[in-house]
Amino acid sequence: MTTISHAQPRMLSWSDRLILWYDRLKTPLFYLILILWAIICVAPLYFTLVFSLKPVANAYDPPLFWPIPFTLDNFRDVIGALPLFPRWLLNSLIVSLTVTILRILFCAMGGYAFARMEFPLKGFLFNAMLVSMMIPGQVTLIPAFLVVGPGIIRGGLKIGDITLPTGFGLIDNLGGVILPGIVTAFGVFMMTQFYKSLPRELEEAAMMDGLGRWGIFFRIVLPLSQTQLLTLALLTFQGEWNAFMWPLIILRTPENFTLPLGLNWFRGEYYTLISKVLAGSLFNTLPILILFFIFQRYFVQSIAGSGLKEG
Amino acid sequence: MKVLRLTLFITALVALLLAACAPATPQVIEKTVEVEKQVVVTQEVVKEVPAERAVVRLSGWAASPEETALLQSLLLDFTAENPDIVVKYEPITGDFWATLKTSIAAGTEPDIYYMDIFQFPAFVQDDVMLPLDDFMAKTGTKKEEFIPSLIDAFSANGKVYGIPKDFNTLGLFYNKDLFAKAGVAEPTDDWTWDDLKAAAQKLSDPANNVYGLGVPADAGRFPIFVFQNGGAIMTPDFQDTLLDAPEAIEAGKFYTSFRAEKIGAIPADVGEGWQGTVFGKGQFAMVYEGGWLIPYLKQQFPNINYGVVTPPAGPEGEGNLIFTVAYVISKNSKNPEAAWRVINYLTSEAAQKKVMESGFALPTRLSLQESDYLKTNPASAAIFRGALQGARPFMWGLVGSDVNDQMTKALERVYLENMSVEESFKQAAEAIRQKLAELK
Amino acid sequence: MTTPSTTSMILTARQKARRRREALTAYTFLLPYLFIFLIFTVFSIGYAFYLSFTRYNLLSPPQWWGLEGYRRVLCIESWFPRPENAPKPVCDDLFIRKALPNTFKYTAIVVPAQTLISLVLAFAMDQKIRFRRLFRTIFYLPSVTSSVVISLIFVWLFSPLGVINQIFHLKINWLNDPRYAFYTIMMVNIFTTSGTLMLIFLAGLQDIPITLYEAAAIDGANKFQIFRYITIPMLRPVIFFVVTVGIIGCFQVFDQIYVMTAGGPLDSTTTIAYLIYKWAFRDTTVKMGQASALAFILALIIFVVTMLQRRVIEGSGSVSQ
Repeated sequence: MTTISHAQPRMLSWSDRLILWYDRLKTPLFYLILILWAIICVAPLYFTLVFSLKPVANAYDPPLFWPIPFTLDNFRDVIGALPLFPRWLLNSLIVSLTVTILRILFCAMGGYAFARMEFPLKGFLFNAMLVSMMIPGQVTLIPAFLVVGPGIIRGGLKIGDITLPTGFGLIDNLGGVILPGIVTAFGVFMMTQFYKSLPRELEEAAMMDGLGRWGIFFRIVLPLSQTQLLTLALLTFQGEWNAFMWPLIILRTPENFTLPLGLNWFRGEYYTLISKVLAGSLFNTLPILILFFIFQRYFVQSIAGSGLKEG
Repeated sequence: MKVLRLTLFITALVALLLAACAPATPQVIEKTVEVEKQVVVTQEVVKEVPAERAVVRLSGWAASPEETALLQSLLLDFTAENPDIVVKYEPITGDFWATLKTSIAAGTEPDIYYMDIFQFPAFVQDDVMLPLDDFMAKTGTKKEEFIPSLIDAFSANGKVYGIPKDFNTLGLFYNKDLFAKAGVAEPTDDWTWDDLKAAAQKLSDPANNVYGLGVPADAGRFPIFVFQNGGAIMTPDFQDTLLDAPEAIEAGKFYTSFRAEKIGAIPADVGEGWQGTVFGKGQFAMVYEGGWLIPYLKQQFPNINYGVVTPPAGPEGEGNLIFTVAYVISKNSKNPEAAWRVINYLTSEAAQKKVMESGFALPTRLSLQESDYLKTNPASAAIFRGALQGARPFMWGLVGSDVNDQMTKALERVYLENMSVEESFKQAAEAIRQKLAELK
Repeated sequence: MTTPSTTSMILTARQKARRRREALTAYTFLLPYLFIFLIFTVFSIGYAFYLSFTRYNLLSPPQWWGLEGYRRVLCIESWFPRPENAPKPVCDDLFIRKALPNTFKYTAIVVPAQTLISLVLAFAMDQKIRFRRLFRTIFYLPSVTSSVVISLIFVWLFSPLGVINQIFHLKINWLNDPRYAFYTIMMVNIFTTSGTLMLIFLAGLQDIPITLYEAAAIDGANKFQIFRYITIPMLRPVIFFVVTVGIIGCFQVFDQIYVMTAGGPLDSTTTIAYLIYKWAFRDTTVKMGQASALAFILALIIFVVTMLQRRVIEGSGSVSQ
C-alpha cells in the first residue's frame, strides 16, 4: 500500500469504505474466482482421462472421478492399431513448428510496420486486412486448394509453346499444409495492436542513437514483445496442431497425415466407441500439453520482469 | 520447481502409456505388421520387372483399423497377381463428401472411390462417373451375379455405374431376456404390425424405464413403415414427394403412436443419443437397426442376449431400406482399365467371402446367399434377407439431404411440440417441394 | 526529436527522402504478409466473389447466375406477409428465419461474456497471487485442446446420462432440446476462448508502465479510479482487438456446431457459418454459389458491426502518452 502523506485525518467516504472492504476481501475473492474457473477448465480433461482408462463397456457408469475398473486397452488399441502414429506425430510437429516460427516473425514485422511507420495505402491495407478476416473459410477453401495444388487454370497457362504452372503443386505434401499459414491477418492485427500500446521512449532513444528501423526492430522491439510473441506462438502452434479441414484436403497418403487426420482414421463409419474416441483425443492433446508445460516458464519470466502493479 | 515436477509427471505418464502399448496386442495388429512386411517384399520383386506400371488411386472413408487392414491385404493380393498395377490407397479420414467433391472440382479426384447410394443421383446427373458395362463384358462379369436391388440402385439410363461392394438393411433386434420375462413369443420373419404393437404393449414398463420399441425421429428408420403401408417417400421419378399422401400419414400415425401410448420411446427419453446404446442397456426391448449394431453390441454390450428378424410387415406387405456403397470409376481416370481390374477383384466372390467372414460387411453376390457364415450367424443372415424382401434403396433423389432433414423435423415436431401428424407431414412436404423448386 | 508538421505543404528534400525511405522499409517489413495476402487471400476472395454470382455444384463447372444466388439467400419475398394463396417464392428462408437471428443472439451473448470473464481472470492473475504459473497453465488448457476434441468431450459430458447431469442431479437433454442446445454451444465456446483471451489481456496489462500507477497513487487516486482512468484506457487497443476478434469469431462460429449438433435440433443451432457449410458441402446437391453469396453477406454484416464497435471503443482517438 502506498502511503498517503496527508496530515489531517478525514471522514471515510462510502468509496473509501468500499476500498477497505475490497482490500480485505480482494485476495480471497480473487482466489475464489481463480479456483472456480480452474476447476471448470480441468474438469472436462480430467473426466476424459478417467473414462479413457475405463473399459468400453463402462463408458457411462459411475464412479465418475476414479477409473474403476481400470484398463489401458483403449490406449493400446489407439496406438497399437496405428503403426503410423509416430510418423503422424512427426508430421504434425514439422508443420506446427515451421508455421509457428515463420508466423511470429512475419506477423511481428507486419505489425510493427502498421503500428509505427507511415506509408502510402497504409489505411487501405489495414482495413483490407481486417475485412479479409470476415470472409468465412468454407468458401475460400476451393480457390486456396487450387492455388496450392493443381493450379488456377486447369492444364496450366499456355503461352506459345510453354505451359506455365498456375499453382504450387504441393498436394500430398507437408509444404502445402504449411504455405498458407506462414502469415495471417489475425496475427498481423494482433501484433499491430500490441505494438501500438508499447511505449515509444526506448525506440525514440535508439533512433537518436542512430539505430535504423531494422536494428530497432530486432534489438529492441522483438525482445520487448516477448510475451506477446509467445502468446501468438502458442495460439499458432495450437491452431496448426489441431487443424483438420485444410490438411484433410491437401494430404492423401497415410504416411503424410498429420495427427488429427490419423487419429480420425479409426473412427468407424457406423458407431463410435466413446472410450476409444476419448483415448484418441487425449493423444492429440497430450503432446501439445507437454510442450506447453515446458514453454510456459518463459511467460513467468516476463511477468516477473515487468513487476507488480499494486502494492 | 512445480513446473519441473509437473513435466516429470507428464513424462512418466506418457512413458507408462507407451510401455503399455508393447506386447500382448491382439491378432489384428500382427496382421497389420505382416501387411507392411509384405509391401516391402512385393515392391522388391516388382522392381526387377521394368514394366510400365499403371497407378490407380483408390479412396474411401475411414473405417476401423481391422477393416482397413483387411482392405490393404486384399489390395496386396491383387498386386501380387497383377504386378503391372500399383494401387495407392488414400483414405479420407473425415468429411468424405466435402473432400471428394472438392477434389472433383479441382480435377484431382481419385480413380476409384466409394459411392453411397444416397449421393448417387447428383453424381449421375453431372456425369462424373464412367459406365462400367463395357468393362464388365470384357471380364465376363454379369449384372445378374449381384443382388438385383443393389446393382439396380447403381444403374441409370440403362448403364451400370457402380459395383456394390457391401450393403446393410434394417432388422428388428429384440432382447430375448426381456421377451422371456414378459412371457411374449419371440418375433419371426412373419410378424405384422399388430404383432409388433401387441408385443410392445406387454414388454413396456415405463415405471422402470423399459419400453417396448425404440421409435427415434430418424429418417433412416421411419420410411420402412411408409413402404409397409403401401406408400413411398418420393414419386418414382423423384420429382415430387408423397410424404403428405394418406399412406405416409397413416404410417406416421402408427409410428408415433408407440410413444404416445408409452409403449415406445425416443433415445432422449431415457437419456441417450442413439437407440443402439439403449437396446444394449436393455431399456428398449425392440429396435429397428442395421447390421452395424452387431459388432457394436459385441464390443460394448457383450452380455446381451438378442435375436434379429426381418421387419414386421404392414397392411400392404413388407418393406425395408437398403444402405449400400459401390465402387465407381471417375470419368477423368487415366487408367480406367486398370481401375476396373481392381474393382473386379475387390468385388469377386473370393474377396467378398473374406470380408463377410471377418464380420465387417455383407456381400452383394447372390452366390454367397447360402454360405456357411450366414448359417452360423443368424443375426447377419436376417440382415441379409432384408435385401431380398420389398427393400428400397435409401435414396431420395437430388434433394436427398433435405428430405431426410424434413422427415426428421416432421417427427420431431410431433414428438417435441405435440403437433398433429397431418399438420407436421404437410409442412414437411411443402418444404420438400420448395427445395425441388430450387433445383430448377 | 520533433517531427516536422505534415500539414505544411512545403517539405524539404530531406524530409521527402526520409518519407520515401520509411515507406520502402515499411513495405519490406510487410513483404511476407503481402505475398501471402495477394496470392491466397485476394485471389481466394476474388474467386469466391465470382462464385457468388454462379450456380455451382462442384461436380460440373460453374454457370453464371447473376444475382439469383443473393436473391435466394436473402429471400426478400419472405420478409413481408403474403396472402394465403400467393405462390411461395423460390428461395431458402433458413438464413433470414434462423441463421441470422441465431448468429446475432450468439454474438450478443458470447462476446460480452468472454471479454468480461477473460478480463476479470487476467486482472485476478495480475495480482499478487501464489501459484500463478499453475493457474495460468490450467486456464490455458481448454484453448490448447483442439475445438473438435473439446466438442466431442462436451457432447459426452452433456449427454443426458453424462457427468454434468449426474453431478448436478439434472435431467436436461442439453444438446437435443431446442431450448437448451444453443446455450450449451455458447458455454463450450466461452469455455474455450476465455483462456486465450485471458492471456492476451494479461500480456496487455503488463505493458502498462508501473510509473503511471505510482504517479496516480501519489496523486491520491484510489483503486477504482486507477482502474477506470489508467488501466482501462491503456488497455483500449487490446480491448478493441479482443472485441473485434470476438465479434468476427462469433459471427463465424462453426466448429462446435459441426461436431455437436449439426445445426439442430429443429435448426435451433444453425448459424450463418454452418449454413454456408451445409450449402457448400453437406447438401446432396451442392449450392456453392449460394454459399458464397451468403459468405459475402456475412462479411458485410461483420464489417458493419465491427466499424460500429470501433467507433465506440477506439473512437475518441488513440491513446496518447
